[in-house]
Amino acid sequence: MEFISPELDYAALAPMIVVGVAAIISVLVEAFAPRSVRRFLQLVLVFTTLIGALVLVVLNSGMRVLTGGQSIALDGPAWIMQGTILILAILGGLLMAEGGVDPSGDAFAPRASALPGSEDERQFTIRGYLQTEVWPFLLFAVLGMMLFVASNDLLMMFIALEVMSLPLYLLAGMARRRRLLSQEAALKYFLLGAFSSAFFLFGAALIYGYSGSIAFGPISFAITTKAGENTLLLIGIAMLLVGLFFKIGAVPFHQWTPDVYQGAPTPVTGMMAATVKVAAFGALMRLLYVAFGGVRWDWEILLWIVAILSMLVGSIIAISQSDIKRMLAYSSIAQAGFILVGVVAASPQGLASVLFYLIAYGFTTIGAFAVISLVRNASGEATSIRDWAGLGKKSPLIAAIFSVFMLSLAGIPLTGGFIGKWGVFAAGVAAGDAWLVIVAVIASVIAAFFYVRVIVLMYFADPTPDTAAVVIPSGFTTVSLAAGATLTIALGIVPQPILDIIANAGVFIR
Amino acid sequence: MLKRPSITRGVPRAVNVYTPILVLGLLAFGFAAFSVILATFTGPKRYNRAKVDAYECGIEATPQPMGGGRFPVKYYLTAMMFIIFDIELVFLYPWAVAADQLEVFGLVAIVLFLVNLAVPYIYEWRRGGLEWD
Amino acid sequence: MTEAVSDFNLGETIVFWVCGGLAVLGALGMIISRKAVHSALFIALTMINLAILYVANAAPFLGMVQVIVYTGAVMMLFLFVLMVVGVDSSDSLVETIKGQRFAGLLLGIGLGLLLTVGIGSALTTSGDIGLTAANDAAGGNVQGLAQLMFDDYVVAFQATAALLITAAVGAMVLAHRERWTPRKSQPELSEERFRDGGHPGNRPSPGVYARHNAVDTPALLPDGSTSLDSVPGPLRARDDVRDVDPADVDEIRELTKGVDS
Repeated sequence: MEFISPELDYAALAPMIVVGVAAIISVLVEAFAPRSVRRFLQLVLVFTTLIGALVLVVLNSGMRVLTGGQSIALDGPAWIMQGTILILAILGGLLMAEGGVDPSGDAFAPRASALPGSEDERQFTIRGYLQTEVWPFLLFAVLGMMLFVASNDLLMMFIALEVMSLPLYLLAGMARRRRLLSQEAALKYFLLGAFSSAFFLFGAALIYGYSGSIAFGPISFAITTKAGENTLLLIGIAMLLVGLFFKIGAVPFHQWTPDVYQGAPTPVTGMMAATVKVAAFGALMRLLYVAFGGVRWDWEILLWIVAILSMLVGSIIAISQSDIKRMLAYSSIAQAGFILVGVVAASPQGLASVLFYLIAYGFTTIGAFAVISLVRNASGEATSIRDWAGLGKKSPLIAAIFSVFMLSLAGIPLTGGFIGKWGVFAAGVAAGDAWLVIVAVIASVIAAFFYVRVIVLMYFADPTPDTAAVVIPSGFTTVSLAAGATLTIALGIVPQPILDIIANAGVFIR
Repeated sequence: MLKRPSITRGVPRAVNVYTPILVLGLLAFGFAAFSVILATFTGPKRYNRAKVDAYECGIEATPQPMGGGRFPVKYYLTAMMFIIFDIELVFLYPWAVAADQLEVFGLVAIVLFLVNLAVPYIYEWRRGGLEWD
Repeated sequence: MTEAVSDFNLGETIVFWVCGGLAVLGALGMIISRKAVHSALFIALTMINLAILYVANAAPFLGMVQVIVYTGAVMMLFLFVLMVVGVDSSDSLVETIKGQRFAGLLLGIGLGLLLTVGIGSALTTSGDIGLTAANDAAGGNVQGLAQLMFDDYVVAFQATAALLITAAVGAMVLAHRERWTPRKSQPELSEERFRDGGHPGNRPSPGVYARHNAVDTPALLPDGSTSLDSVPGPLRARDDVRDVDPADVDEIRELTKGVDS
């Protein structure tokens, strides 16, 4: 058989190539640059790369190509999601770059290998060591996410999933404060993540057994042409969905979420919460619509169940949380349920509404975690909700900004979250899932309770001696926070430009 | 509808394919069993505790913690490097077999891959991960 | 389907049942055995048997990779991790969540049944295709894989490099203990050794009067006394110094009588 070298569309792959090459250069910086200049070099490299890749994505946004055989699809939704991931990664990266909030350095352990509480760790802290390996990890994670939303093939999707996840497992274990909690989070995330990856792989194998291919196009073709026996197909879809539901943190695959959100360094939590949702929902929709569009009626029921469970379980358990990071973790589970309402609509309207929701949710989430990283007491971040009592009187500006984020997450008008929720609910109704939307509205009301409760606590409770103080951050967090707040409000008041961009992007190509 | 098994497909050919594996397995098992059994019958048996020591150097073996104790975690770095070069080898193998068909593109792709995998090695080396003290 | 029936052959059947059975036994042994190292060895048994099955099913490359990567490298990593953790540290078998083990068992059996029945029914009705056609078309199993790897999946292939780099750098970040004190140089080390009156040369060896060359036997000095310095420190610390036979000492005293000591 004659080998024909593949036709790779290098222009379309350019954003990912740039991020990948930069990630490797970033490792080389770790290898060769002296310790004193590493942070500076990494920051220059990371932000130049992410902005450069974003520019390339914008320039490429007119392309609609299948490349690398059929394994990568760069279409309208892919460009939008890659762009969103890059912007969110820039904002998350700014949070990770913050060095002025924690008196002893940045948010990461000076050396993740040092035993918590040991003399080694103390010495590294005193000497101002910084674990600058977080930057190559960030770039590799971004590379994986960009590849994930563009994967048009189960093998590609699996590798992208792992490239995305592995750096995140590591980043979750590198918090400077409360090291043991952070390490526990990383271990749990890793073990459960590996377990879910195994399900994904098993599913991919079964789909291959059914259709004789792992590329989405031929799978879809096999579904339309093969009549009758489809047990393998259905079990395969269910197992693939387990892997993806794990990543989006949907019930009943959500157990890792609270521990990881709580244990991971707050900037990483913010970055991860925002970007992984975009990446995983992007991959989930492409998989369901492009490969399995022909058996929509079969997978719909699974999504209904998971969406309802996520919305209700997430909202109800969030009420009883006393830790603000855990509360936001359960909130993210509920939000995953709301987004699934748009996914299950399986229409161009649904796709557009989900994209908008993901953008609004991403900015709000990063902003919310930026605030959490600033509200501190002597032992570090004050994540206990009780310590936020009366914050509105001590730091009106930060409390106001946080209130905006909470209102957006609750879906109150004039915020991005409202337009997002409106979009997915409208798409749900249009697709004939009215009763699912009714459940979603009920869950929204329950969820609004705990979002508003934080606002009430900040403004209508008197400060106690325990009330945390807000630290004035450096420019990094300020920019990120300002961008998050501005975009959350802007998306609520003038959503049209973004809605137009999404409308122009069209649907997934096949 | 039943098809008649031909001479080249079906039973005769398949038996030919698997016979060597089976025969080799039986031979290996037989030889091992034969050697052990023969030794128990023919060899002289004089018990000496030193013979069952790990090393016959004459002193008592150092008392070990249960199960051999713990290894320092730095062995893990070596293990990780081994895995990486192992997987590199797995990818090199198909390239090497089909190198003449894969032309320049294949060469460039595999070299790029090798260069990429050299990066963590360089990192580990430069940062003292391979030093042993 | 008739093809599948006529392809029945004795050799493959024997290989399948022997290796398949051993693989299942290995998997069972892995979860049943209490000692972690035994579990690891059982996994190795399972993996080797799977490798034989792959080779028997016309996928020799997969079989070799199974041996090289899984039975070799991954198993070694498993054992390393066990050793790092300490093989004797047994797991606490207390259930932290009540009824967890029972629920896990129930769900596991449920999933197993679902998969067995589902896949079983699908396979019996759809028949198998086999690798022969694909292998023949590409001119060989490995050649076919190479063409896929360097054609459609070249991006995926390169992306695995990102995965491996992350893994290696991550292992360094988590396991490499960096030093915050400067490394001691050779002169510093030797100075440290002699400052507190360390012994400047080799320690006495068993010497000309030696009656035994084991390391735990002290050297005999000409006056018949023993030199504890000739026994390695750890043995002395553990009180593992072998007693010298008094007859030997007497004999040496006889021998050295009249010799200036």
